[in-house]
Amino acid sequence: MCTPNRNFSLPGFFWLLGGILLWSGGSRELAAETRLFSFVTSKGLPVKVLQDNDMPFIHAQLHIFLDGNPQNYTSLAVSLLTVMNMFDRELNSPASNLMDMLQRQGNDYQVEQNPEFVKISMNFLPDRLGAFPRLLSEIFNYQSFHLRKFNQSKENFWSLYSKNRDWKKEMAILLAYQQIIGNFYFHQGFLFQDFVSKVNLAQVRSFLLKTFRPDNALLILKGRINPYFILGMIEKDLPQPPPQPTKVKKEEVSINSGRKIFILNNISPELPTLYWFDTAPAATDANYLPHFIGNFVLFGFPGGRIYQSEKSQFMMTGYKVNTETYFLKNFSIFCSYLRLNFSDLENFLLLVDLERRKFTARPIERKEYLDALNFYIGRAQVETNRFDHDLQGEVDRFVARSAAPPPLIGPELFQEVSINRVMQVMDEQMGYRHKSGGREKGIVVIVGNAALILNSLKILKPDSFEVLSD
Amino acid sequence: MTKARILCWLVILPALSLFAQTVTVNSFELPNGLRVILSPSNDVQAAAVCVYHMHGAGNEPAESRGITYLYQYLMFDGNENLEPYDHVLFINKMGGTVSGRVNYDNSVFYELLPAQEINVALWLESERLKRLRLQDSNIDYHKNQVFGRINRLWESNQNFKAQAWVNARVLEGSAYEQPLYGDLNKIRFLNNDRIRENYQNFQDLANILLIIAGKFDINELKAGINKFFQDIPRGRRFPHPVFRAQNPRKTRLVKNWLVPGLKKNFVVYGIKAPAKIGYNFMYFDFIRYYLTDPRFSKLEYILNTVNKLNVEIQSNFTDYMESNCLTIEISSSRRINLEKAKYVLEKEFQSLGANLISNNTMKSIRSLMEIDFLKSISQLEERCLRIGEFYHMFSELNFFDEQLKRLRKINSYDVQESAKKYFIQENQVVLNVYAE
Repeated sequence: MCTPNRNFSLPGFFWLLGGILLWSGGSRELAAETRLFSFVTSKGLPVKVLQDNDMPFIHAQLHIFLDGNPQNYTSLAVSLLTVMNMFDRELNSPASNLMDMLQRQGNDYQVEQNPEFVKISMNFLPDRLGAFPRLLSEIFNYQSFHLRKFNQSKENFWSLYSKNRDWKKEMAILLAYQQIIGNFYFHQGFLFQDFVSKVNLAQVRSFLLKTFRPDNALLILKGRINPYFILGMIEKDLPQPPPQPTKVKKEEVSINSGRKIFILNNISPELPTLYWFDTAPAATDANYLPHFIGNFVLFGFPGGRIYQSEKSQFMMTGYKVNTETYFLKNFSIFCSYLRLNFSDLENFLLLVDLERRKFTARPIERKEYLDALNFYIGRAQVETNRFDHDLQGEVDRFVARSAAPPPLIGPELFQEVSINRVMQVMDEQMGYRHKSGGREKGIVVIVGNAALILNSLKILKPDSFEVLSD
Repeated sequence: MTKARILCWLVILPALSLFAQTVTVNSFELPNGLRVILSPSNDVQAAAVCVYHMHGAGNEPAESRGITYLYQYLMFDGNENLEPYDHVLFINKMGGTVSGRVNYDNSVFYELLPAQEINVALWLESERLKRLRLQDSNIDYHKNQVFGRINRLWESNQNFKAQAWVNARVLEGSAYEQPLYGDLNKIRFLNNDRIRENYQNFQDLANILLIIAGKFDINELKAGINKFFQDIPRGRRFPHPVFRAQNPRKTRLVKNWLVPGLKKNFVVYGIKAPAKIGYNFMYFDFIRYYLTDPRFSKLEYILNTVNKLNVEIQSNFTDYMESNCLTIEISSSRRINLEKAKYVLEKEFQSLGANLISNNTMKSIRSLMEIDFLKSISQLEERCLRIGEFYHMFSELNFFDEQLKRLRKINSYDVQESAKKYFIQENQVVLNVYAE
């Protein structure tokens, strides 16, 4: 039988009322639109809350930045092994506290390794929001490395790494990045098994201590969240970071996107995948969009010059090229990729160079410019279908320390970027070789069977390719 | 005191109402019988236009199996107003995406595009429904293409062959027994007149749902729909399909294949699973998550982490309306590991029926399933598909809240009962593929 609560007190009621008003105050105003709240906790963790009351679950992204002190990273393997030992589900024996917490949170998480940061994204139900700050604290305070698990991760590194992810693309971007940034922090060159075997647990611990710090991270939360509530919880649970290591003066980043063709040897009968990387200014830079337009005029589908010329000039079957953009701290990378027959590989490389050279002789036409801008606007609108579509902009603005407004996606873009501006930028980018006698630009990474690829060459010389094999 | 409580609830209730989880869905029918289903979302700037045919390969008689599968390709071949693949090019150009697939129970084609361009998608879909280029030359081209592609797969991929065999044995006696493309040897000899004739049934408006989700102005949208679809003639309404959930198998089937030159031995377990229309489906789905979902994968844990067998595990689920098949493939270059893995796996199947899953695991998987469900309805194209399937199966539109409620109520006893029924030896087909 239900008995009335005789201890009901009026002050208690007002406390409850106050709490409810505070809680609803943060969420009521935005029944329809997303609102941004930004703050930095006393432990130095920048937090951005995108409050969206229509979203039935919560999406969180924790970015841990890697571009710190070069001495932190003797090898890319250290960073990858750290993340693997912390988050790989197959390395959960003996079970770690972090894995238990992730499982209780719903287990819907993903960890990506980008050249400049580790991104941990997860989705959970609103009733788990209260437990999230403790999980965050466990990540920053992780101490559950286990020697047996660590050795296992080194032995089975490639099988663990390649599972459930597009490892070809990830490897290609890491390789391209290493090529683009001359003073890249991975001193030991590319990721070979030899480097993986040499990593020891002390290096991993030290990397974690120096990198996984609240003041070297960014947390973004999106969903039905009261920002004041979450701020309080995070403040309560977050550990005090260890004293900051002495800052080493960072070297200036110099971008070198001179032509280099790599083959990542993957002994398999599958068709090769070709990744073409071009650099562009950071997303917050005014010159980013002209570069985007130029890239679209070349690689776009179906109106792009390369697609149009594939059949007419090189008798190819009409390959659709996909393009993705990696937004980094000082610049962006366009990654255009496709799978193609061995016999078409050389022709495709020649065709891209040919079309790039033509930029000086054949300026961008008005129709191409309009198509590119329309595509840009349309794609941005279609992207709003993804629940995490507005998070990337926040990361870009944070990384660039820029207060620039979100990028425009309306017809006002046509006023922002004129066709002449696009031509000027593309002339500098693509016409470089002809004006200064310099090298071609664009890093190419081909993932596939090196022997078959080199055998298929007729015009290009095999020594113009650098084969990476392990 | 009572007043204070009332006051308290007066504050709490409006706040709670902010959290009601609903996806609005409504529908109307055009005079020519086309049912239009709308699910508006004003927080996006995109729209999805989906044509859901309540007609799939399963509706064909066995001797003409493969015809509907060909429409998956013929649909993009254009007509007198559109060149081949214009449809894809139009949508890609504006930053959108196009997709389509024919399955046993249904066929779905959709466009995801900027909201203000919705009429372009309506026009393209209406063109496709009104007339299609079904000339001998392009039909023959696609027949040869399909034959070539599947034949290559059949000849080069032992796993594909084994999976197809297990699927057919598990689902024998049902419309799902034959592959979607029918008999591979007959596909090139399908009668072109029959293909043209059958298209009349396939594009019959009475068996089609036009589902639109995303941002739109209702008046403009209705005007667009009327403009493009009202002159399509009324179709012949077929009796609404009655789906019948099939029972589990009664006898275990074990078969061995010896293949010369095989690099890795493997074994495929086929388990007959409940129909999508059945009440048991959700409980079985729960077990599928528990065993095979890469975010949880109990099998990975017990085979590789605990027993260190170093085997590869792959799984596949059919997702059909009347009956289903869960296949689990385990492969290893070491035969001894494979045999041990089989033993451990069968023990795990038995323990599912004998023991209750712990509360923590139940909670964790329920939450994972709920998140996946919520993610899927937040994506427009996936939402359209779910609406179409649910309407097709149950003639109901508003099912989201009901599904969520059911999902949250799954308990370990229901799961155990489902395991007792489906994870028994009699309900399994096992194919061992060994190197000769």
